[in-house]
Amino acid sequence: MLNVKEMLEELKASPYEEIEVVTPHTGVIQFVGLKAGDRVAGPGGKWNEKPGSVLATLTREKNKKNICATQKGVVTDIAADLEGQFVEAGVRLLTIRHFLSKDEVIARILKKALYLFCAPERAKYYFVPEIDGKIKAGGEQSVKPRDGMEMFIVSRMKRETPLAYSGPEGIIYAVYFQQGDNVDGGQPLIGVCQESQLTLIQDVVNRVQGEWEEQD
Amino acid sequence: MDIDKRTQQLAARLSYIRDIFGPRENASVALLKHRLEEFLTCAPGYGMRELQVQVGRLEELFSLLEGKLEGELSPMDRVRIVRHPQRISLKDILENVYDNYTEIGGQDEWSIDPGMLIARATIARRMGKQTVHQPVMVIGQEKGHGQEFRNGGSIKPWGNANALFYMRVAETENIPIHTYVFTPGAFPVEDYPGAAQQIARNLYVMAGLKVPVVAVFSEGGSGGAEAIALADKRLMLSHGYYSVISPEGAAAIEGGLKNKATPELIERCAERLNITAEDNLRLGFIDRVIQEPPLGARPDNYEFFRSLRREVIRATDEVVHGAQGLGPLRALAMRRSKVGMDPQDIFVRWSLRSGARDGLVARRYAKFRAMSKSALRDNRTIGTRLAVGLARVLWQVHSLLRHDIFAKYKRRLSGLLEQWEAELRALGLGLGSLLGRDGSGTRLGVPKEALSRLTSLSCPEEGACRTEDAWVYVSPKSREDRTVTCPNAASHGCQDLWAPDLYGEFAGVCSHCGHHFPMEFQWYLYNVFDFAHAYEFNAELESGNPLHYEGFDLKLAEAKRATGLGSSCITFETRMQGIAVVVAVLVNPFRGGTVGAAEGEKLIRAIERARIKRMPFFMYSHGTAGIRIQEGTCGVIQMPRVTMAVRRYIDAGGLYLVLYDTNSYAGPVASFLGCSPYQFAVRSSNLGFAGPGVIRETTGVIVPPKYHRAFSALSRGHIQGIWDRRDLRKNLHQALLTMGGSNLYYR
Amino acid sequence: MPQHKILIANRGEIAMRILSACVRLGHGFVCVYTEADAASGHVRLAREQGGEGSLRRIRSYQDASEIFAVADATNATAVHPGYGFFAEDFRFARRAETRDRPLVFIGPSWGVIRDLGDKINTKRIARSLGVPTIPGSDRPIFDEMEAVELALTIFAFQREQGIAEGCVLVKASAGGGGMGIEEVYDLDAFRSAYRRIRNYAKRNLSDEGVLIEQRIFDFNHLEVQVAGERGGKNAVHFGTRNCSVQSLGRQKRIEVAPGFDAASIEYAFDAGRVLDAITSHSVNMALAVGYDNVGTWEWIVTPKGEPFLMEVNTRIQVENGVSGVISRLRGADRGEARVDIIAEQLRLGLGEPLGYTQADVSFSGVGIEYRVIAEDPSNRFTPCLGRIERFSWRPEPWLAVSTQVPTAVTGEPYDIPMDYDPNLALAIIWGADLREARARGEAFLDGLVLEGADASGAPLATNVAFLRARTQTLLHF
Repeated sequence: MLNVKEMLEELKASPYEEIEVVTPHTGVIQFVGLKAGDRVAGPGGKWNEKPGSVLATLTREKNKKNICATQKGVVTDIAADLEGQFVEAGVRLLTIRHFLSKDEVIARILKKALYLFCAPERAKYYFVPEIDGKIKAGGEQSVKPRDGMEMFIVSRMKRETPLAYSGPEGIIYAVYFQQGDNVDGGQPLIGVCQESQLTLIQDVVNRVQGEWEEQD
Repeated sequence: MDIDKRTQQLAARLSYIRDIFGPRENASVALLKHRLEEFLTCAPGYGMRELQVQVGRLEELFSLLEGKLEGELSPMDRVRIVRHPQRISLKDILENVYDNYTEIGGQDEWSIDPGMLIARATIARRMGKQTVHQPVMVIGQEKGHGQEFRNGGSIKPWGNANALFYMRVAETENIPIHTYVFTPGAFPVEDYPGAAQQIARNLYVMAGLKVPVVAVFSEGGSGGAEAIALADKRLMLSHGYYSVISPEGAAAIEGGLKNKATPELIERCAERLNITAEDNLRLGFIDRVIQEPPLGARPDNYEFFRSLRREVIRATDEVVHGAQGLGPLRALAMRRSKVGMDPQDIFVRWSLRSGARDGLVARRYAKFRAMSKSALRDNRTIGTRLAVGLARVLWQVHSLLRHDIFAKYKRRLSGLLEQWEAELRALGLGLGSLLGRDGSGTRLGVPKEALSRLTSLSCPEEGACRTEDAWVYVSPKSREDRTVTCPNAASHGCQDLWAPDLYGEFAGVCSHCGHHFPMEFQWYLYNVFDFAHAYEFNAELESGNPLHYEGFDLKLAEAKRATGLGSSCITFETRMQGIAVVVAVLVNPFRGGTVGAAEGEKLIRAIERARIKRMPFFMYSHGTAGIRIQEGTCGVIQMPRVTMAVRRYIDAGGLYLVLYDTNSYAGPVASFLGCSPYQFAVRSSNLGFAGPGVIRETTGVIVPPKYHRAFSALSRGHIQGIWDRRDLRKNLHQALLTMGGSNLYYR
Repeated sequence: MPQHKILIANRGEIAMRILSACVRLGHGFVCVYTEADAASGHVRLAREQGGEGSLRRIRSYQDASEIFAVADATNATAVHPGYGFFAEDFRFARRAETRDRPLVFIGPSWGVIRDLGDKINTKRIARSLGVPTIPGSDRPIFDEMEAVELALTIFAFQREQGIAEGCVLVKASAGGGGMGIEEVYDLDAFRSAYRRIRNYAKRNLSDEGVLIEQRIFDFNHLEVQVAGERGGKNAVHFGTRNCSVQSLGRQKRIEVAPGFDAASIEYAFDAGRVLDAITSHSVNMALAVGYDNVGTWEWIVTPKGEPFLMEVNTRIQVENGVSGVISRLRGADRGEARVDIIAEQLRLGLGEPLGYTQADVSFSGVGIEYRVIAEDPSNRFTPCLGRIERFSWRPEPWLAVSTQVPTAVTGEPYDIPMDYDPNLALAIIWGADLREARARGEAFLDGLVLEGADASGAPLATNVAFLRARTQTLLHF
């Protein structure tokens, strides 16, 4: 059985996530005057339509783009020597220390409790259109995977093959991959919650709501 | 009356006055306040008789000073009067002006839109000894003295739809419609049928209503007012306002959206917009002003209701009279009634004879056609004007001969020929089979030269290389060596686009996701409408500053200089693959594509041209922010004006097609654009009644990011399709062949 | 010739060959790579030959802005697209040429790429020059009557040719990638297919145009390697190739030069005349359009020996080496002056004149190219992902292997990246005649060690056995 208390304690001991911000592509970097210790905001608005704080700008082919924070947190370490330099793709610019929110804590604990259906091999994964539509319309939990149900499309070297779900019946509680991104073999794709687990999950949610104090 | 009650009334009068005059310092108000307080502190010491005298004196003072204050009312004070919870409401009018009524549009909060009140009412008139109850349909916004569920008279689309339904009922029953405008503006939601679409539909139907319509304005807020105010007679209460936008809205635009508008700026805007009854009467947008008691009518001003009753009866009589004429004696009597006789005593039957109903609509059109004529700059010489007038007559004759008389015989003749030919063919076939020729069994032989066609160059005159779709007009944005990021990059993974490719060959369309970047209006003029070979007309009609709006002359001159245009509207005749069409373009860079008197006039003339010359009419909105607020009601009146012209054109059998691009909002969408049965949008455009910022300001609702997107509008049923910019020519041509009314001769 | 700095906008094997050619010609170079490719051989080679300064990590090989941004940052003066990615992208070539800081595009000028990049245009140009093309329409058909007439004519044409079962191909003119294409055997099927495809094209491609062609079933796939100089005044060819050994998805697996070998094999037609015809047609057409770099004219040859031009590839091709290995300039000794077509491409691309004529080009022997790929030929050629642990072969003077798999050099294991095409190595074998070339090819394949494991731990699937099995049938029609 899941020891929620213990896991909460563990998370409380290191309640941060370090997010490395890297350049999406090449270009000339200009920071916007952030210093280590500054707070930055994540995306906001009702639909997350407002981007997070601007961290730096990247100019390539006379096109200046903002690099924005994806989570709120505190800037810890800035590669200030890159200021004004032409950088390659994937270069670390700074690190954001992000204090875990309640939802994130719940997600982390549940990842241990749910049945995880994992990627059989490294490839790009998509939901089949029917399920994708369902999720877009009614949210993740509107899909009830059954053993043998064709749920995914595996795309590898431009070839696409269907992939069936195998595991207990339940509802999708969490999706752990971005459609179209590479997923390594063995990484979880979805977390499925069985009917019998619903009370346990409610318990986790209640506890975290009660015990986890969010910090900015 | 006992003293307490009288003092309470005085206190109420004072607090009303203070509400009206707002934060301003005013000697009279201060005096009243001082006197009333003085009286209240001294009152316990007075005897009964003394009290009577003092209260009487105070009452006199109040009346005196109210009369004085009346003269000091600023436009903004009038706005505060009509918004005051004590302002008369439609229910008060139904109670006091009509003799009997039944609400039919719902009851209080149990209504599809409690802000819209619809009732069948009667007005009793004497016919000798007999009393005749004349039925009318009363439609108007009910503010309900501040009742929350009335939404302040701000009508949702379905409320206007309901009003429209009962206008049609009135038309069927042949009874006049009295509308009462008590709205600060329409509620800007896009849920079906959509604020703008519904207002447009209302205007379109009202443009052709075959019963007398009388509108009375108390609070006429822009589009919301127009939804029920297209009338044969437009009356206005003396303390009402009728405006293109609320003074606060104008101030917000004037002051920039960042900083909050100051009360002074709002006052100034209210003044500049010419919103009072007097202003509107002077400008000719209303027919008569109904005098209210000092500082505005309140529910207990019974004398006012009596005069209102007289006025609406007289207005209805006049409309009927204008449409079908009256007996000479009654006409004389009616003329005399203007001097002071009660119109109620002369009986006029309000149901129109069938012959008079078309005349009514024609008169209504003529009435609106004549409005705002002087609100634009006409730079044409007298010679050109005469020539244009003459050409118009000639074209009318030409169309009559060619399309009505000649075409009719031609059709008959060709029909006959077709029949004969079919008969002969049938004969030939029959004979053929009699002679034993078998038509079905033979293999179609392939001639020798067909075989060589399979391997040799076809159409050698076209050259070996097919020419690429090169655009005639190439955007200057394509000359810069830089890249542009597609707004969908995050969700669709679009790569940066190179500006010369994007704005040149791709016509501003993201090659990955199909997002349309805005393009210059010239791009459309030359690449879609072949402007190089088009004939532009009425370019000399230019936007002016009819209200002498402070500082606007400068802005207008700047817009004219920057775009090289005289107004935001370009009208021309062109050919689409051989078919002559009239096109009107609303140009976004000219004051945001706003529509004022000049634009309205140009549009009407273009539509009339299309009607007379029997051409299809395209309207391309390269983006419009709405009605030009600096022209006040001169702008807003273009909504009914142009819609009526459209109605006349469509009724005459034309094809009216609207194409939206970039951002199209407010007045034009809610009238002459939105009333087209064929509305299309260029991909990635936005359209609606009010932009997200305005919706947030006025309703407090934050709309989702893609609320106004063309695709949302398509799924809501506002538009009929979405077109790719690169296919516009093809799609428009297709539209010419498949859509539209009966006078498209080229089919 | 002034020294250039060439940005190599490609990866893997071709990047390595371009890099070597740059070094040989004395030009500088810049290599780009993506995170997934960090262990690739081309990155190693660039580091070895040019140091860290000659390498830049980018987001994607397919993002043109990345290429140009790196070119500016490293002061590159020219860009070589390799094959795939930007090789036949006329917009990329146009941008290179017309941007504020122009780069030399190593390839034909963009107008040529654009004209020949369009199959319909190519067909029309060919027809205007009397070059044979597949019977059918050479412009999009919009009218059903016309389409039916055309289909009828094609059926009649096939009857006349003695083809028992005629077949017509209907395809959307704006389509591609196997969508919107159908083959039909009679007129009724044609009508419905035509309407279906027209509707598909109208809806999905917003272009109603439909192409109608004869479907040819049995054919050999031949290519002519052409090279022209800037200005397009002079052009030569480097012989023909036969690329008929293909996987299911029409991917080439073995290429042989020359295209036919009449000395060793009996053909039902005059093979020499066919080869002469296609080479002269190709060169004439190159001169007519002003072709100004290396390129390939692709032909299909029917069993009766009729050639039809299919398309023109305006780029270097994977199999260029197999033509190079049999070509000799100015009669140099065999094995000595074989032509390096990539080096020729660089030279011509940078504006040097050709410097020789067709008379200076001669041919010697037979070349075979094998594409060694981790795939399972028995299972629809499904690519196999995994780790290569051992990869070696016996070096021979008649053998040239190019591979980006570093295992071959360092012995370190290599994970096959999943984002790119699964080619592992190209082996080019030369023999004095077909018999010798085949024997050497088999010897190479027998001695090839390619071992590893796929994701599930099973042995890595490769196409080596497939290649070996097909070697004996090479060049047989």
